[in-house]
Amino acid sequence: MATRPSRGSSLTLKVDLLLIAALALGIGAVMAAFAVSLLSFRDQLTTESLKRQGDDHFVAVETLMISGNAPQAVGYFTKVNLTSAATSIRLYRRDGTPAFSDNSTIDRVNQRLKVQRFEPQDRPPVAAPAMPTPRFNEAAGFPPRELFFRDDQGLALAGGTAYFRAYRPLINLPKCTVCHGADHTVRGVIDIRSDVTPIVKAQALTIGGAGAAFLAVVAALALIIGSFLRRVVLRPVQAVGRLCAEVTAGRFEGRVDVRTRDEIGVLANTVNTMVGGLRERFELTKYVSASTLGALTEGQEPRRATRTLMFTDVRGFTSYTERRSAEQVVGVLNRLLEQQSAVIQANGGDIDKFVGDSVVAVFSGPDGANRACRAAIQVVHLCAQKPQDCDGLTVGVGIATGSVIQGMIGSIRRADYTVIGDSVNLASRLCGIARGMQVLVSDATRSEADARFRFRGPYSVRLKGKADAQRVWILAGGPGGTRS
Amino acid sequence: MSSSILRLLAIAAATAAFAACSARAPTVYATPDYHSWQRTTNVVLDYPIPGHQDRFRIPRMNAVGFTAAPTMVNGKRRWEFPEGTVIAKEVYATSRPSPGAAPVQLTIMVKAPKDPRSQGGWLWLTRDLPDGTETVFMGNFCITCHANANEKHPYGDGNPNEEFRDYVYFVPGEGAPAPSR
Repeated sequence: MATRPSRGSSLTLKVDLLLIAALALGIGAVMAAFAVSLLSFRDQLTTESLKRQGDDHFVAVETLMISGNAPQAVGYFTKVNLTSAATSIRLYRRDGTPAFSDNSTIDRVNQRLKVQRFEPQDRPPVAAPAMPTPRFNEAAGFPPRELFFRDDQGLALAGGTAYFRAYRPLINLPKCTVCHGADHTVRGVIDIRSDVTPIVKAQALTIGGAGAAFLAVVAALALIIGSFLRRVVLRPVQAVGRLCAEVTAGRFEGRVDVRTRDEIGVLANTVNTMVGGLRERFELTKYVSASTLGALTEGQEPRRATRTLMFTDVRGFTSYTERRSAEQVVGVLNRLLEQQSAVIQANGGDIDKFVGDSVVAVFSGPDGANRACRAAIQVVHLCAQKPQDCDGLTVGVGIATGSVIQGMIGSIRRADYTVIGDSVNLASRLCGIARGMQVLVSDATRSEADARFRFRGPYSVRLKGKADAQRVWILAGGPGGTRS
Repeated sequence: MSSSILRLLAIAAATAAFAACSARAPTVYATPDYHSWQRTTNVVLDYPIPGHQDRFRIPRMNAVGFTAAPTMVNGKRRWEFPEGTVIAKEVYATSRPSPGAAPVQLTIMVKAPKDPRSQGGWLWLTRDLPDGTETVFMGNFCITCHANANEKHPYGDGNPNEEFRDYVYFVPGEGAPAPSR
């Protein structure tokens, strides 16, 4: 029987895993929600900021361009870029080329107006600006769309740069069409790029710190709660398990040492009480026959069965008791009974009862007669082999085989699961007339015993309570020893 | 056991009934009779404009809109169209569609200042002509362009006095009714 949980099925491990999982899921969900909320809030703030900037720049560009002040628009963009290192603003024509990079727009407007309305500007060569992303066409298409998106260059935490980017289309308003024509909807796109690397890093630090704190809290809580559960629940349960294992192994001395008054304490007390009761019952089994114990589990209904009954009796015991002290008498008798009991049980017999210096044993099964005869030979040899233990006493044995009634005999307060019947009486009578170291067996027993046993007889004897003379045999020898 | 199943079924049925009641049919602003609405201008709108290119356009307005009348504010007329005004602008495939041609697009303005989706007091919608579904346009493209109606612009009378015309380029009374198509 397994007394220790297998690896992986330990309650301690399960509780620890459950705790860690519950804490990780519970606190983890809060942490995840916090992180997502933080990132979402950042994105929302940045987007709103870029949107507002886009609106502002749109108004500025519209105002400057309507009045034909393109040079001021150029200056405006230059100044805006100078005031904030984190934000860059560019204006692209709808075809993706940088605005104000040449005089092509001025030329087209003058051509449309058919007058030299705007003088070509001496544009300094523009350093090749960053080309717009593929999403540019989405912003400049129809219908035009405002776009806000992340445009990171590498990982911010690995030396890269995190950008929020906005594309704000410049609509070719009806009032613009006078100069620029009405054959297009989008004049260009304002590109606002905001460096949010410090924010991203700060957030990463915040989230990382919170994550580390989360792991620390989970670990600490798992340790604290796990330790508490181990001390309050698991160890007492393990102690109960160990006690049960000891009881299973036949050791009833242990007890669970739990002093709490909670459910575990109640369980421990109950188990201690139960073990105490089991110990008492175990002790009682020493005074109860095996058949009685068997009847408790197999049923106590009376039944007829064929059994071989063996009665033993110490010859001359009554006169012996008159010459010895009580201690000597009890000592010798108990030795004799103990040795007989060992022999009987070794041969598969069940000690039904002790009656004074007599032993009543029952042998069941098809070879009950053989085992009873073998036990009888060994019993009568006991005193011959160890006369000092028997203090000169000898034992006579009577054996009979036949149908008996087996059942609970007695009152509801005290009963024995024992056998009654003619064979019982016959075995008793045979024992009564057997001399010391003599084994008398009934005719039925002799018939049941196999050929290895040697019998003398038959003898015809008259027994008390029997009207007719009985055929009786003397067991002379066999596998258990030799009787002369 | 059976009572639990019945309870679950009851909850499911109630949820389904609630969902069915909650799923309201989408509102159609340009009602099927919009063809009978009066045009807002007699100007033939076959010239190109940003947003509609050079496609022929016919703007119509429901009767609610024609109840609008300008008020004088600081010596200028000011137009405020009443709530419920619907202007549906039919957009055709070309600048000169053949007689009997059907429009390819319908853009709609609905005066609904209490609607949280409104911009400038108007909902700006497009109708998917094949299935009639009207979708509120959430970008600012429409209103950005129509804001020019409140300033000087190159269309119609050009709004020379920069009257506030409630984002409508052709307000009632401007010119004679357009020839019917």
